[in-house]
Amino acid sequence: MKRPEQRDLFPGALEMMILRTLKRHPLHGYALVQHIKRSSKDLLQIEEGSLYPALQRLLKEELVKAEWGISSTNRRVRTYRLTAAGAKHLEHEVSRFEKMLEGITRVLARGES
Amino acid sequence: MNWFKQLSSRRRLYDDLSEEIQQHLQEKIEELVASGMPRKEAAAAARREFGNVTLMEEDSRAVWQWPSIETFFTDVRFGARTLRKSLAFTAIAVLTLALGIGANTAIFSLVNGILIVSLPYPKAEHLVSVTGAYPQGALVAMREQMRTMDVAAYAEGHDFNLTGRGEALRLTGTLVSAELFSILGAHPKLGRIFDRGEDIPGQDSYVILSHALWQQRFGSADTIIGRSIELEGVSRQVIGVMPPDFRFPSTKTQIWIPLHNDPRSVFHYWAGDFMPVIGRLRPDATLQQARAEARMFQSQAGALFPWPMPASWNADVSVVPLQNGMVADVRVRLLLLLAAVALVLLIACTNVANLTLSRAATREKEVAIRAAMGAGRQRIMRQLLTESVLLASLGGLLGLLFATEGLSLLKALLPADTPRLMDVRMDWRVLAFTGGLAILTGLLVGLAPALHISRGALTESLKSGGRGAASSVSQRLRSVLVVGEIALAVLLVIAAGLMIRSFWALSHVNPGFRSERILTARITPNESFCGDAARCLAFYRSVLDQVQSFPGVSGAALVNTLPLGGRVSKRSLELEDYVDPSGNTAPLFWLNIVTPGYFRVMGIPLLSGRDFGDSDVSGTPVAVVTAETARRFWPNQSALGKHIRLLDDKSWRTIVGVISDVRAYDLQRNTPNWIDGTAYVPHNPTATLEDRRVPSQMTIAIRTASDDSQIAAMLRDSIASMNHEVPVSEVKTMGAVVTEAVSAPASTTSLFVAFAALALLLGIIGIYGVLSFLVSQRTREIGVRIALGAQRGDVLYLVMKEGARFSFAGIAVGLTGAFLLTRLMSSELYGVSPLDPATYLDVALVMAAVTLLACYVPTRRAMRVDPLVALRYE
Repeated sequence: MKRPEQRDLFPGALEMMILRTLKRHPLHGYALVQHIKRSSKDLLQIEEGSLYPALQRLLKEELVKAEWGISSTNRRVRTYRLTAAGAKHLEHEVSRFEKMLEGITRVLARGES
Repeated sequence: MNWFKQLSSRRRLYDDLSEEIQQHLQEKIEELVASGMPRKEAAAAARREFGNVTLMEEDSRAVWQWPSIETFFTDVRFGARTLRKSLAFTAIAVLTLALGIGANTAIFSLVNGILIVSLPYPKAEHLVSVTGAYPQGALVAMREQMRTMDVAAYAEGHDFNLTGRGEALRLTGTLVSAELFSILGAHPKLGRIFDRGEDIPGQDSYVILSHALWQQRFGSADTIIGRSIELEGVSRQVIGVMPPDFRFPSTKTQIWIPLHNDPRSVFHYWAGDFMPVIGRLRPDATLQQARAEARMFQSQAGALFPWPMPASWNADVSVVPLQNGMVADVRVRLLLLLAAVALVLLIACTNVANLTLSRAATREKEVAIRAAMGAGRQRIMRQLLTESVLLASLGGLLGLLFATEGLSLLKALLPADTPRLMDVRMDWRVLAFTGGLAILTGLLVGLAPALHISRGALTESLKSGGRGAASSVSQRLRSVLVVGEIALAVLLVIAAGLMIRSFWALSHVNPGFRSERILTARITPNESFCGDAARCLAFYRSVLDQVQSFPGVSGAALVNTLPLGGRVSKRSLELEDYVDPSGNTAPLFWLNIVTPGYFRVMGIPLLSGRDFGDSDVSGTPVAVVTAETARRFWPNQSALGKHIRLLDDKSWRTIVGVISDVRAYDLQRNTPNWIDGTAYVPHNPTATLEDRRVPSQMTIAIRTASDDSQIAAMLRDSIASMNHEVPVSEVKTMGAVVTEAVSAPASTTSLFVAFAALALLLGIIGIYGVLSFLVSQRTREIGVRIALGAQRGDVLYLVMKEGARFSFAGIAVGLTGAFLLTRLMSSELYGVSPLDPATYLDVALVMAAVTLLACYVPTRRAMRVDPLVALRYE
């Protein structure tokens, strides 16, 4: 019996997606996860709950900040927004990721030929 | 973010988190309901999508935590709850571990206090001991020549009469060179220590008192400093009192008196006391340099003597740290005890591990549920280990209590002359040791069960409701543990068996004399009193006459050195027509000076020739030798009629008798190895010691049928009435003298026996527990067998076979271990080989019998299995 370990693809990927989503506009947890799921066209199997540990990590590193407020559906929600440090971190992570992806793609492409 | 702020705001963080997650779920449910799903289904779907709520919340919280510490506390709280729930298990386990840890702590306290803690002197690491013994002349030369260290010497075993003011008292003194105190760095409580040069004749009439003596005899009066006291009829000025914790060289010392380094008394200067030498390394010198210098000194030291010294004298001299030098004798014994007690702890660990495993069977379900709830394997293992460490820590606390008690018991049990015994106390090192031991024990105890349980087939155990899942893995592990446990017990019992046999051999050694019904006492006129030989002899004569007239006394005699009394009287002797292979014409003898009738009083058998008679006190000079001496110097011929002469004596003595050997030095040896032979001469003016005087200290041996204390009182009274300056000391029966001679092996043996008994007990509990568990697990199988017609005998065979397998395997492993390990204790064994077949066989048989007996109880339970009851539970 194994603990369900449907984590994101690699460590930090979920955080990156959260930051990217928040960069566009601040969101609360539920909306955030729905947005990510929708944008990925459900290709990524994300457990909704796994969002929260990731959000706490970002909060702790002060890459995002949170505020309680009332949503459009009149629900008490905690809205997350990107901090300056978060934006910078995102940029850095994305460029790192792109490099990595490029590398992997090249290797895979060569393997095929 | 600072840590403190985190901690203070953490509650809010957690509350936010919980609310947020709840809101999340609510929103999801609302959405699903809005899309047309029934609310109940929607709730389930929302949870499914979300994942494990508790785990996610925990993981989220963990982000803010100092993770290991916090989960640790959670685990401890949980562990404490679990342990509280199964009180019986907890009590047994804690008690078992407390015994193991307590015994280890007590023994470690000894090892720590004696072998580890540095000596209580400033810069003790610079203090060294020169192995080997030197007379005054050599010491003085060494003091002048040594460049790597400052040296001092001391001579124990010098007793002094304290007279004037009240009853004459015999004091234990230590002669020291003037620098001894300053080299140790010791400071007086009152007054001062000896100055350089205060061990030279004319400048040495001083004395320093021990704290205890100052209190008891001088009422703790400060005015004692500068006053004079009478010691051996000589007036000495008290210049200092040492503090209570100054006990050099041992607790026994009551006074310190300067050596009397007088080159003019050639014999005393070069052949008096051969003294141990200590030193303090000079700031820029190393131990190696000191060692080299000591060897260099030794190579020239022989030439300093006024007579040729054998090349073997101190040939292997070295310089070792003072601490090692002082405790060399007890080191092996202590380490053996530590090893024994460690084995006990190992057995205790095994037992508790086994107990935990039994419980593991019932806990599998709990663990399975926790795993299903999302606990990782590591997490579960950590929880289980925390629990067992908690268990062991409780054991450790209780063990500390046991150890405190045990330590005072040990101090009483160990021979009082064990070096540094008084310094032994429980310090931070002991506490750290106990703490470390408890944690280690906990890990050891918990590891096997934790590994096993966290690996268990959890779905299996969930399905079967915790039954039948006690897999073969668990059974195998338990078997290994119980076999190991029996093996360890066998090892320890064999060690104890060897100690017992050795002790038995030692206490059944024929000492060469009969110790029953003999009362002994030391009678010591002042040395100056015996300067007049005639006066001295007359005094002793009248003492003997009076004692012989006491009611119930059937005989009394005097001797200068009582067998096993801890004193050696050495004297060089010339033997007619004898030159030993190395050219030495005067072998070193142990000279006993005795009054006629001594052999009869002590029950020492005369092998040939005759005993001393009253005529020998003044007639032709005679001597008696022991059988060993006769064999050595006159092999294949009779020693009777041969002649020997005390060095520098005028007339030759005729050997008139040969007595059987006497264990005079200790129960294992007649004489120390540096003594060549033993001779007895009658107490008369020509019977002189090394200082060419008649002995001023004699021990009286009284053969009596009366009450000892009555005789002792009469002895004191009659001596006091003859000469009130003569103290009577060391009043004890010969039996007590013999008992003291075996006190060290006796204490080691009894400790070993206690540990072995503990090991045996734990081993029995172990095999009993495992077999009981086995039977309870197989109740159904046994029931079926009986239902199918198996006889009681078949069941007996079935269960006992299992038990016998454990037992025999354990015994085999234990015997092998003993075969390999007992040689480590050979230095502590007397008269028995570490591979003594009888001991091995006996222990194997006893262990087999005992373990099989332990198996019998569960077996009987198995035989009584009612097939109906057993099967109904299915």
